[in-house]
Amino acid sequence: MNEKKRLPFGMGRLGTKWWVLVGVSLTLVTRGIIAYSQQASEGEVVTGMRDIGPMGGAAWGLYIVFVVYFVGISFTGICLASLIRLLNLKVLRPIVRPAEVMTVIALILGALAILADVGQPGRAFLMLLKYARPQSPFFGTFAMVISGYLFGSLVYLYLHGRPDAAVLAKRPGLLQRFHRWWAAGYGDTPPERARRVRSSFWLSVALLPLLITATSTLGFVFGLQGGRPGWFGSLQAPGFVVMAGLSGVGVLILIAAGLRQALGEKERLNLELFRWLADFLLVLLAGYLYFLVVEWLTNSYAAGPSESLVSQAILAGENAWIFWGSVAFLTLPAFLLLLQRLRGRVSLPLIVACGVMVNLAAIAKRFLIVVPSQTHGMLLPYSTGSYTPSLVEWEIVIGLVGLGGLLFALFVKGFPILELDRDYLGGTK
Amino acid sequence: MARYGMVIDLSRCHGCRACMVACKVENNTPKGSFWNYVFRFEEGVFPETRVSFLPRPCMHCDNAPCVKVCPVGSRHKTLEGLTLTDWDRCIGCRYCEVACPYGVNCFNWKDPKKNRYLDWSDPSLEGVELSHGMPYANPDLDLPQGSQGRHTAGGGRMKGVVEKCTFCVHRLEKGLLPACAANCPVGALVFGDLDDPESPPSQLLREKPHFRLLEGEGTEPRVYYVGGAPPTTASRQIEAVKARVER
Amino acid sequence: MNRTAIAIWMVVAGFSLQFFAYFRWAAPLGAPTSPAFSDPRIPYAPAAFIFGVMLVFLSAVVYELQGGGEGESDG
Ligand code: SF4
Ligand code: SF4
Repeated sequence: MNEKKRLPFGMGRLGTKWWVLVGVSLTLVTRGIIAYSQQASEGEVVTGMRDIGPMGGAAWGLYIVFVVYFVGISFTGICLASLIRLLNLKVLRPIVRPAEVMTVIALILGALAILADVGQPGRAFLMLLKYARPQSPFFGTFAMVISGYLFGSLVYLYLHGRPDAAVLAKRPGLLQRFHRWWAAGYGDTPPERARRVRSSFWLSVALLPLLITATSTLGFVFGLQGGRPGWFGSLQAPGFVVMAGLSGVGVLILIAAGLRQALGEKERLNLELFRWLADFLLVLLAGYLYFLVVEWLTNSYAAGPSESLVSQAILAGENAWIFWGSVAFLTLPAFLLLLQRLRGRVSLPLIVACGVMVNLAAIAKRFLIVVPSQTHGMLLPYSTGSYTPSLVEWEIVIGLVGLGGLLFALFVKGFPILELDRDYLGGTK
Repeated sequence: MARYGMVIDLSRCHGCRACMVACKVENNTPKGSFWNYVFRFEEGVFPETRVSFLPRPCMHCDNAPCVKVCPVGSRHKTLEGLTLTDWDRCIGCRYCEVACPYGVNCFNWKDPKKNRYLDWSDPSLEGVELSHGMPYANPDLDLPQGSQGRHTAGGGRMKGVVEKCTFCVHRLEKGLLPACAANCPVGALVFGDLDDPESPPSQLLREKPHFRLLEGEGTEPRVYYVGGAPPTTASRQIEAVKARVER
Repeated sequence: MNRTAIAIWMVVAGFSLQFFAYFRWAAPLGAPTSPAFSDPRIPYAPAAFIFGVMLVFLSAVVYELQGGGEGESDG
């Protein structure tokens, strides 16, 4: 009985593990803030970026790499959440809320990474609201990704949380007002439930095309650039989407495994669910490896001299270890997951390891898209450039990752991270 | 209305880089920013080598990728055919820099006041008198330019914005030539109205075969070259300018 | 007005706002040959676009929350 009185999923109770997570995240965030203040006062000279051309640098670096990475994760989060709801996939149901939260957080991080990148962040907001141009793919990423996508996924999270909030709003406690606000009078009456189902369906329908456009636009930021060898290509956008799926599913696996550990939710977050996630990963990996081969073939047979310089730099030059590392971190998980599949087993540590590898590969692959095309194979015969991210850049992006962890930790304590069962607390059924 | 352009006579250029210096002085560009850049090339194997030079200002493209991608319309095309950056509006995303195939954009990586060639606040310089005012403070650069009255002239305005060759828009307003063209000792840089068939660059284009850089990109540059050939993959830079910005 | 009608109106208004902001009010598309290609035709057109996106999604909130919801029947 006493068990039932407590809030679900460790809400409101701050255990040691939680404090450790918060402590680590806060440290990273603090370091990030210090690094950013340095960049804000000195200028972006503190980064490893420099001008393309006589200065032999890359004008876009780690920040843009992570913008793409974060937006990709958010894309997968909301896509999976929508699909699970639309198709009513029972096994995956428990990760719907974590996926939605992941989406919102990843978008916030993406927006912050953009702000870290631009030279005049203070101006950026006003100027974009006033002058943003549809012709610039940046408009697509800015207006759709940040405003539309963030707002849409917040609405999505909010509406889907109302039934749970309504249940919790009945319990006295610190968080009651918050839950009451969130529930906004939700009574779980049959007509309300019917509306819930209907609007949920339409929201999913409305979000999916938006997301695909948004993520492809992000691909077009690079794909439509004729002047940068290696960027122009039709494969860029679909490749982006598949890679986004990979990294997103990877992070979701980490989150689900973490929750399973921390909350002891072995029943809801069962191995069957992880098997599904592993299968997702496997399918996406197969798709991506296919793209990789196609990309490589077109580059080595049909490319102009500048393109081959870029791919040389990637395949054999200073960036080779990144490329081959990412290939290894894509093929190894594919191999392991396939093996596991064939043997019909499910090993959680293995799946988690694959999740980590896939994410490292995703970051590496983003790096290879963004950077070598700026430093190698320039269309005019400038000398070859180079780019190594500086400590400040690393501290800022790792600080952003830490911020993600922090936001997630806070959310978990204020709201049920897994959807409540209908009969929780006797329910209102 | 005049539609400006430039014709560069490669047979005259001898790689003295006077135009690069003139540009720096005129536009007060900070350290590491080269709005005009003169390639010095070498081709072939010793003893069969050939040396050539190629000045590269901004091409002021008619179909400019940098203008297309600017998210806030800071980089814009004027009616006079110039491609300019409004430094009141630039948010410093560097998308233009990434989109330009010619590598002509310069970002202000640090506060330009701290990025001058000489620290003019150094007390040992007290009492130094210069006939034309301080070399880093061309007053014309602060004036609004053109019919739109936008702040587009000059370099090193503030940190975190992008700048590039303006064809000296502030000098054009006064009816002067761009500093590079005015200072080239052998008149290799011929500037004028390309719409006027009698202007010096138009005449030169009629007389000599010409090419533009990276025609295949479809950028429609307003800078033409005569008296030479475009660089090939065999062109090596003899000594690349080491443009650096340090903390 | 019942909730369905309001929601539909919001969706329609939101999408039209997006359409007009993108194609009519913001800076024109095409090869940029004059400063006109770099300035929105109506000031703050991008803000209108974003507002349109928000309207569309807000319609779902309005649809669910309108009228307080306590046992009220579907309109
Ligand atoms: S040369 Fe580069 S910066 Fe100049 S107009 Fe062309 S694309 Fe723009
Ligand atoms: S750096 Fe400035 S001029 Fe260049 S694209 Fe961005 S906002 Fe436009």
